Amino acid sequence: MKVNDLILKTATNVVSFIIITFSIYLFFTGHYTPGGGFIGGLMTSGGLLLLLLAYDLETVQSIIPFDFKKVIATGLLLALGTGIGGLFFDKPFLTHTYGYFDLPFFGEDTALATATLFDLGVYLVVVGITMTIIQTIGESE
Amino acid sequence: MSFQILLNVIIALLWMFFQNAWNGLAFSKGYLVGIIILFCLRRFFPTRFYIQKLVAIVYLLLLFLVELLKANYSVLKEVIRPTLKIQPGIFALPLEVEKDWEIMLLANMITLTPGTLVVDISDDNSVLYIHAMHIDDVHEAIDDIKNSFEKAIMEVSR
Repeated sequence: MKVNDLILKTATNVVSFIIITFSIYLFFTGHYTPGGGFIGGLMTSGGLLLLLLAYDLETVQSIIPFDFKKVIATGLLLALGTGIGGLFFDKPFLTHTYGYFDLPFFGEDTALATATLFDLGVYLVVVGITMTIIQTIGESE
Repeated sequence: MSFQILLNVIIALLWMFFQNAWNGLAFSKGYLVGIIILFCLRRFFPTRFYIQKLVAIVYLLLLFLVELLKANYSVLKEVIRPTLKIQPGIFALPLEVEKDWEIMLLANMITLTPGTLVVDISDDNSVLYIHAMHIDDVHEAIDDIKNSFEKAIMEVSR
């Protein structure tokens, strides 16, 4: 009994892009407004989960050929690395800094903070863990 | 269509280069110049002029909004009527549109206008099965959808 799920698939092709775009916006807006790495990562996983609902597991794994366990490891390394970075400047562990730089395209006085890198680590860990859990449960017969 | 839009953006960027002005106003002027040039040379393109397509998209949107208001009003009348006088039923609507996104758009529009609801699609994507709240005349309902939504969608994708 196979139903024709053309409407779901076609809507997914559009909607998942919107969800992932919004999740990246949430990730970058976390410094001054509500948002950040955790909710951004969860929302990216939500977009990928919609793909998993519309298509099957093998198709999505061929589209996004990441080993999500390695994604978790990368995120943890990033967060740890930003923590260790403070030690090189005789500051305590996890001291974050920021500076204003004159970048060519982004305009003058662009604020760049190392907290963003820490947040990126959080983001990767959340995406990796969510997708690992979902795929592990989905694969088990 | 996308090629024509890309060409129009390139003409607008060229205009900004000629003017040596890097702001939105110069870009808009260049875009207008590009529209005029593309309109004059529209017979060179294999597809039709893309402004016509934009007009068709806007027309589809407006048609959908008007139908939504009308249909909701009719459902409101059904709800506040003291006696129930509906005759539900399911009928088949043969499709003329073929692309995936056209079928999705048509199905969602039929569902969003109350009184009708898409239940299923046949396996070869050629028939929509629609549940109607009030079937007086099946052929009338089919013609109604075909003449309004499907025609407008075909106009967009022509």
